[in-house]
Amino acid sequence: MSDALGDIGSGLAGGAPRSARRIALGRPPLLLVMAALVPTALILLPIVYVVLRSWSAGWYAIGAELVRPRTALLFWNTTVLTFAVTGLSAVIGFTGAWLTERCALPGRAIWRIALSLPLAMPAFVASFAWKSLGSEFQGLGGAILILTLESFPLIYLPLAAALRSMDPAMEEVSRSLGRNGRRTFLAVVLPRALPALGGGALLVAAHMLSEFGALAMLRVQTLTTAIFQQYELQFDNATAAVLSAVLMLLCLPVVLGEIALRRGQRVSKVGRNTARQRSPVPLGRLAPVALLGLVALTVLSLGVPFGRLVYWLIVGLSAGRGIDTILPALGGSLSLAIAGTFVTTLVALPLVLLSLKSRGLFVRIADRLPYVVHGLPGLVVALALVYFAIRLFPAIYQTAWVLFAAYAILFLPLAQSAIRASAELVPREIEEVARTLGRGPIAAFVSVTLPALAPGLGAALALVALELMRELTATLILAPTGVSTLATEVWSHTNDGAYAAAAPFAALLVLISGLPVYFFTRRTLTAIRR
Amino acid sequence: MYDVTRRRFLLTAGAGGLALVSGLPRPARADSAPLALYNGQHRPPVEALIAAFTKSTGIEVTVRHGNSAQLASQIVEEGAHSPADLFWSEESPSLVATARRGLLAPLDPETLQQVPAIFSAKDGTWIGATARCRVVVYNKSMIDAAALPPSVLDFATEAWKGKVAYAPNSGAFQQQIMAVMILKGRDAALAWLKGLRDFGEVYNSDSAAVEAVEGGDIAVALSNNYYWYALAREIGEADMNSAIYNIGRGDPGTLVTVSGAGVLKSAKNAEAAQRFVAFMVSEEGQKTIVEAIAEYPLRPGVTSPFPLAPFAGLDPAPVTPDQLGDAEAALDLLREAGLA
Repeated sequence: MSDALGDIGSGLAGGAPRSARRIALGRPPLLLVMAALVPTALILLPIVYVVLRSWSAGWYAIGAELVRPRTALLFWNTTVLTFAVTGLSAVIGFTGAWLTERCALPGRAIWRIALSLPLAMPAFVASFAWKSLGSEFQGLGGAILILTLESFPLIYLPLAAALRSMDPAMEEVSRSLGRNGRRTFLAVVLPRALPALGGGALLVAAHMLSEFGALAMLRVQTLTTAIFQQYELQFDNATAAVLSAVLMLLCLPVVLGEIALRRGQRVSKVGRNTARQRSPVPLGRLAPVALLGLVALTVLSLGVPFGRLVYWLIVGLSAGRGIDTILPALGGSLSLAIAGTFVTTLVALPLVLLSLKSRGLFVRIADRLPYVVHGLPGLVVALALVYFAIRLFPAIYQTAWVLFAAYAILFLPLAQSAIRASAELVPREIEEVARTLGRGPIAAFVSVTLPALAPGLGAALALVALELMRELTATLILAPTGVSTLATEVWSHTNDGAYAAAAPFAALLVLISGLPVYFFTRRTLTAIRR
Repeated sequence: MYDVTRRRFLLTAGAGGLALVSGLPRPARADSAPLALYNGQHRPPVEALIAAFTKSTGIEVTVRHGNSAQLASQIVEEGAHSPADLFWSEESPSLVATARRGLLAPLDPETLQQVPAIFSAKDGTWIGATARCRVVVYNKSMIDAAALPPSVLDFATEAWKGKVAYAPNSGAFQQQIMAVMILKGRDAALAWLKGLRDFGEVYNSDSAAVEAVEGGDIAVALSNNYYWYALAREIGEADMNSAIYNIGRGDPGTLVTVSGAGVLKSAKNAEAAQRFVAFMVSEEGQKTIVEAIAEYPLRPGVTSPFPLAPFAGLDPAPVTPDQLGDAEAALDLLREAGLA
């Protein structure tokens, strides 16, 4: 109880850092530091590549590229898209999470699934479906609509989990101190939901910065589509590298914003699973409005794209062409995605643990750098790996390992965020208690911390698997020759204009992506409560 | 109890992951390696040809599919270590670019003789496999065929504002820019691009532009001919709302471009690669290719089963793939016009 009061106290004081906690931070174990060097080294590869390539253009060319009117246009489009989609996703995600977690909404369990499932719909599939409905969905406006519809679950899910895991005791205390519902919300609920909201928003923003397939289909030109264009038009490309550098700089304020949000936040509970059930708020006359909104959201985010896939299956004459490759493609998708997922999660784990145990400058940079690189298109990361693998490790070039390295570089932040969500709920003191009881550092970690991290690890695995299943550009460039995936088959058939031939691959891709989404949703939304 | 199952879950999952990693396909050893093809051409003809080649020679082929220019970048990046034996490109400029960097080996003289010399590299480092044509695709209900202009340059004017779709980042469009530049001069080419920028509509690909015309979003598209046939195969030719207009008269609006292939200098299976290229331009090979895509065979005597406009009657722009080069100058123009 004193902990809860302390938290409210710090909330009243404007989130002042609690210095007492800092003292508990000792020097991080050497083993952990070594393990964290792996992701850091990986992340540095594309950064070094972009800098090297930009450098080779020379200062004059860099300057000329930066002041072109076209660069300004690309910058503008990228910024508008990122802010609009992130903002709208935050509104929808928050409303959805509040409705399913705090309100007496009929059919909550079903709505939780409906609000999570759009994650299984790759943006390029959804965009193709919408585009075929009419040209009015092309352009920046259409892109904002369609990408919001497929992105909001990235904010909904962590927020729903956060709202669920909050101990009702804190809100009760706040109310007992005389605050009304709105002020309790602002002083107690919102600050505790902000890290989840910020983490989700950061992921959506980074997705928008690096999105390619959907935007190319919807005819929106951003920095990323321009980078692809440059690589399609020219070799040894320096200007594409300059644009990549601009893109990384665009990620910086997003990352700094999220750091500011998280400062002074620590939401550990004493003991696991202590949050009690709370009674949901009745919706009253708003219930029909809420239900109608959710139905509309589901139709737009799931119904329309799925309907178009089915339509193409029935109407197109190329249906069934190349269907004999569906099993190898499924095999390729599963083996690359599952193995890549474990590699990525394993690489992310020490980074998260280190960031919780230590707050040094190196640790903070190492922890945040992956988010900066997350905004880079897969193409740039893939070319960086070709560059370094050929020069430094020719023996592993075009083996799955280089592709896994690309996956880790591209999707570390997803694993980091998910693991951190669990790790922050584990009080640091627990491991210390285990150690005072005579366990060694590794034994203490395995017996105490690791089990407590299981929900976060599960969520990380599911989220990363989902992204890897639909990853396109890095897979195209780095996959072992002859290995195809569902995503690359969809890409290649739509490239040939054979939409009906692409449809079964796309449908299967959506269906198997549904599995990690289901797993992730269950992990996130039920494990905490049990 | 609960903790134990969780730990077991993690251990099993981790072990499963490792098992999957170790079970992944590994690169075959060099002595028994199949022929490694980097393919930027559309897949149906390539897959058909590989099946026929393997059946006839017993040589296995593994393919890396991708965009021609990106694969060329990859080959350049890989340098002498490239695992590729052979590169089949959708566009000649990607082949020219790799050849200029000294990465392609000369082809067998006998192979080069199978197709007309103007469709291959002068130095014999790559060979044309199929030809296709730049055309204008128009929506029949939106525009009267008689209203279509006598030159592709005419589309870059205010009269066509909002009516012309084009894909500035396609390799074929770059080649068309080169043709305009060679035939009409650099200034005319730049003015043409600026006109398209101001009055035309940018699409991501020729195929997207043709679909937009078919769907009634826009009246006209500058495209390669086979995208229309691909769509016609999808929809049914009788139901098409769009049709192809060949400008002819030696105008750059009707430009013949080629797909082609070259063998890498660093190829580990150089002999098999040369055999593949020979097969590609053999009678059987050419038939196999043009049954799978609406492109023109380059070997005399072979005909396409698609209802293509007769190759001899196209009256295209008088420029050869070799003259179009690696299209660097086109990129300069695109950048100067603010399109790239």
